Amino acid sequence: MSTNRWLATGNYFTSYRDEQRIFFTHLDRTIFTFFLSLLFVWPLLFAVSNKYMLVIDNILIAIVAIIGLNIVTGFAGLISIGHAAFVGIGAYTVASFSRTLGDSHVIITHAWPLMIILSGLMGAIFGAIVGLPAMRLKHLYLAIATLSFQMIFSWTINFLEFFNQGQTIPVSRVFWFTGKLDRDEHYLFWYYVLLVVVVLSGFMVRNLLRTRYGRCLSAVRDNDRAADAMGMHPGLTKVYAFGLAGFFAGMAGALHAYVYRGAGFESFTLHHSITYLAMAIVGGLGTLNGSFWGPAAIITLELQVETLAEHAGQIFPSSWNLATALKPFSFGLVIVLFLMFEPRGIANWWRIVRSYTKLWPFRY
Amino acid sequence: MKNRKRMTVAVSLTLIVLFAFTFQAQAGETYKLGLSLAITGPTSDAGDPYSKGVEDYFNYVNDMKLLGDDKIDCTIRDDQYKTDVTKRNFEDFLDMGIVFYLNYSTGSTMALKKDFDEEKMPTIPASFHAGNLEGSTYIFLPIATYSAQAIGLAEYIVKNHKGDTPKVAMYIHPSAFGRGPVSDVEKAVAAGLKMEIVEVVEHGTDLDNTAMLQRLKSKGVQYIISQTIQSPVATMLKDASRLGLIAKTFGEKGKITFLGCHYTGGNDLVALAGPAAENFFWTTSYIVTSEPGPGTDFQLSLAKKYGRDEKTANSHNYINGAMVAQVASECILRAKKKGLKITKESLYEELLAMNGANEFKTVTTVGPVTYSKTDKQGVDTLQLYAVKNGEFKSVGKPFIPEYTGKIK
Amino acid sequence: MSYFFQLVVSGIVVGSIYALAALGFVLIYKSSKVLNIAHGQIIAAGAFIAYALTGMAGIPIYLSFFLSMVITFFLAMSVERIFLRRLIGEPIISVIMVTIGLMSILDGLIFLTPFGSVNFSFPRFLPRTLISFGGVSISWTQLVGVIVTAVMIGGFSWFFKKSTVGISMRAVSDDQFASMSVGISVPRVFGLAWATAGLSAAAAGVIIGNITGLNFETLQAFGITVFPVVILGGLDSILGAVVAGIIMGIIQQFASGYLDGNWGLNGTAEVLPYIILLIILLFKPHGLFGIHEIERV
Repeated sequence: MSTNRWLATGNYFTSYRDEQRIFFTHLDRTIFTFFLSLLFVWPLLFAVSNKYMLVIDNILIAIVAIIGLNIVTGFAGLISIGHAAFVGIGAYTVASFSRTLGDSHVIITHAWPLMIILSGLMGAIFGAIVGLPAMRLKHLYLAIATLSFQMIFSWTINFLEFFNQGQTIPVSRVFWFTGKLDRDEHYLFWYYVLLVVVVLSGFMVRNLLRTRYGRCLSAVRDNDRAADAMGMHPGLTKVYAFGLAGFFAGMAGALHAYVYRGAGFESFTLHHSITYLAMAIVGGLGTLNGSFWGPAAIITLELQVETLAEHAGQIFPSSWNLATALKPFSFGLVIVLFLMFEPRGIANWWRIVRSYTKLWPFRY
Repeated sequence: MKNRKRMTVAVSLTLIVLFAFTFQAQAGETYKLGLSLAITGPTSDAGDPYSKGVEDYFNYVNDMKLLGDDKIDCTIRDDQYKTDVTKRNFEDFLDMGIVFYLNYSTGSTMALKKDFDEEKMPTIPASFHAGNLEGSTYIFLPIATYSAQAIGLAEYIVKNHKGDTPKVAMYIHPSAFGRGPVSDVEKAVAAGLKMEIVEVVEHGTDLDNTAMLQRLKSKGVQYIISQTIQSPVATMLKDASRLGLIAKTFGEKGKITFLGCHYTGGNDLVALAGPAAENFFWTTSYIVTSEPGPGTDFQLSLAKKYGRDEKTANSHNYINGAMVAQVASECILRAKKKGLKITKESLYEELLAMNGANEFKTVTTVGPVTYSKTDKQGVDTLQLYAVKNGEFKSVGKPFIPEYTGKIK
Repeated sequence: MSYFFQLVVSGIVVGSIYALAALGFVLIYKSSKVLNIAHGQIIAAGAFIAYALTGMAGIPIYLSFFLSMVITFFLAMSVERIFLRRLIGEPIISVIMVTIGLMSILDGLIFLTPFGSVNFSFPRFLPRTLISFGGVSISWTQLVGVIVTAVMIGGFSWFFKKSTVGISMRAVSDDQFASMSVGISVPRVFGLAWATAGLSAAAAGVIIGNITGLNFETLQAFGITVFPVVILGGLDSILGAVVAGIIMGIIQQFASGYLDGNWGLNGTAEVLPYIILLIILLFKPHGLFGIHEIERV
């Protein structure tokens, strides 16, 4: 350990304990605390319109989901093309309660933290079940097993009367100590809830990765035979990775149902699964901070492209279809260019920036 | 010294701002409206002409000065058929201060129903799903519901069928949009409509319907009512045409007569199915450009004025969008005439008052637009069309289904 | 009984069209181990190019069919050259992700043309009569579809078995480094794989477009619809694609023919392939004809 506890220009680890620390220097911790408190304080200082609050909520929901996807695809190396279905499991857990008990039953409006955790558990159960083929399957074949789950999920929701055949099942607004939330407080309230969930999830995963349960994931990803020889059970590890991913996805789903005040199957289609995958990869697979960058980047990009298309629409006549075509085109182009020039995602830029500032003013 | 200079700047700025505002007041007000729909993504073949219809009609209102010096500014957003994006667009529109909202898909209308009510925002969706109206006060459908359309077709079958009880099958989209009318038609049958629903078929991405058609044929089905989008209907019609199953005249013995609701028909169907679309019966409340009349002239001149291609100009979804825009501008016009301030509340009241002597007659639909507290379907009248030589031609006079009232 | 045979025959016909659509996946996977998610868009592009040539430029349909295959061949090749060449050696998931981005790009390009939101249909060039035998009937379009599939599959099988280029493609799929060391140009092989996939996609597009009419959403959905076929056949086997295609076709026909409408079920043809796929994968993880990598976990 370096003598200066605030700044360290290199690694001074002398024991495994040192290496497992969450914050390496005091400066890290201070910056983190400052940044976190900033996240909590800023909505009190600036009034943000409902639209942008919804966008921010949406980013945070996606972050929770991507933390899960990153566990299974990033850390454990198992491609999942059915993540939106797990998110859907969470949303439909809340929706099932709403359907059987009525949408403003006390359990839904007052015991919402419980509902979120319950949805997470449901997601974990389904995740583990879908992960079972991982005992035998590898690579793309496994990806297709998750795709199958996505399709079966869509069909089930769309077909069963209990799920209102895919039409939106309403979920009422929740109560806080101040009474029932009204429309203006709704998105702000969920911003804080989401922020707490994201911070807790982030710490949970960060801590997980310091334990044997987390490290066995990357061990299995990097070389499953070697992991087997080390006494891990690769099959069970994969199932457990899927379960864990399902847990976060389920929580994200419940939060989605609450924020959007209902669950409809259109929010959990294959298209969304692919978008989640895009977020995870753009953020940077196999990194925790990538789970934050990815959703923020993709959703901001989508908004920017929308504004761009709108400006283009004012310049060019709409019969040219230019403005409408611009939206999917530029969205795809940014993703493709990004992957062509930075396949390791935004997390890699973050890493470069960090190591640069750490050594500053020396270069490497 | 410095202070005085600052003062001058401030005063002059204030004056400019004031002047700008007075100038604006002279130039008339601008009313903000919003439309969120799928211009790309699923169902874009309907959404794209729809958006152009809305855009062109509002431009027409502004260019022809139908509202005097006032202008309508309608923001059109592409949501790619994603409910989450529709919600975001709606929140954005609210921030902009819209006074009237136009929505699109069944899914998003159902999902945002509560928001419309809470915001007291008069809303007209492009989906005519009967379920949109359940538990909602601020949603107004432009024309008769899919259920009414399907019941109308069923009534036409019963009236024109020769022989014993007609056997009918329904061919529907695997979603709420498709399933909606099934239960209502069943209710109509239970309420005394003399026909038998033999089977309800939900289609997928089928490349071959031979077996399905043969099965229905062997069960004695003589009529198939479709409630879906054009492409699956086109595939089915092509197969049926090959098998020689399509009835030459309505209700021909030993053959099958195909019928469909609003989104199954139109020129898009003819474009997809080609000659196989012949004798397809279709119901909607809109006029079609293949039937000459004032509505057709208006539709074509509107499209011509704004340089639309031929396909768009003749699309029934183009006039679908334009008609919704007509209703919205009519409300603004009426509120304005009464000297009311244009707000979502006053427009809502105008919509509710649109009945009796105040009904809204327009050339683009086959009947008047009527709304009231109990009637949230705009045009209750339907018109039956059939394809003759690749064009939709009217069959009989416009009608109002009887059983829609009986099953309530 | 003739109902049963009709289902079987329809299943085989539909299945062989699936196989043709699935062929594009297999060709790309076989050499580069990449799953091309944007395949549906290429299928649609092939169909639209053929229509543009015949319906707008007035070229005879057979010629424009052929030309569209040639154009799509080069289109797919340039897609590989522009977007994927740079990613050789990157993790597979990045490459798959690029194809997802590609999907959006192609969407945008297609929406720039009228085809994105307007429907068309091919001019009729085949007899509208039926080919019937023993109460079972198929259409000329379907017959042509089956013949084209058979020719394509036969041609590609021969190509991979006998021709030098085909053998080099197999070599690359087996071991990139080893094949480089014996002088095979890996980038060229990848380009060729994409090009041939484009060729088969155009053929599939024209045939499907003839059956359903030219609607962008319907056509591009086939990219996903044939996923189970590809997996069931084993990602890298051409024969597997055919057998799996036919199995899936028959399963779908039986599902909609016997299950739908009974026991309150409906629309089972959409989901049954996936359920069966999941079950089969549990017992035969590498599909019916996929290469077994002997490796125990």
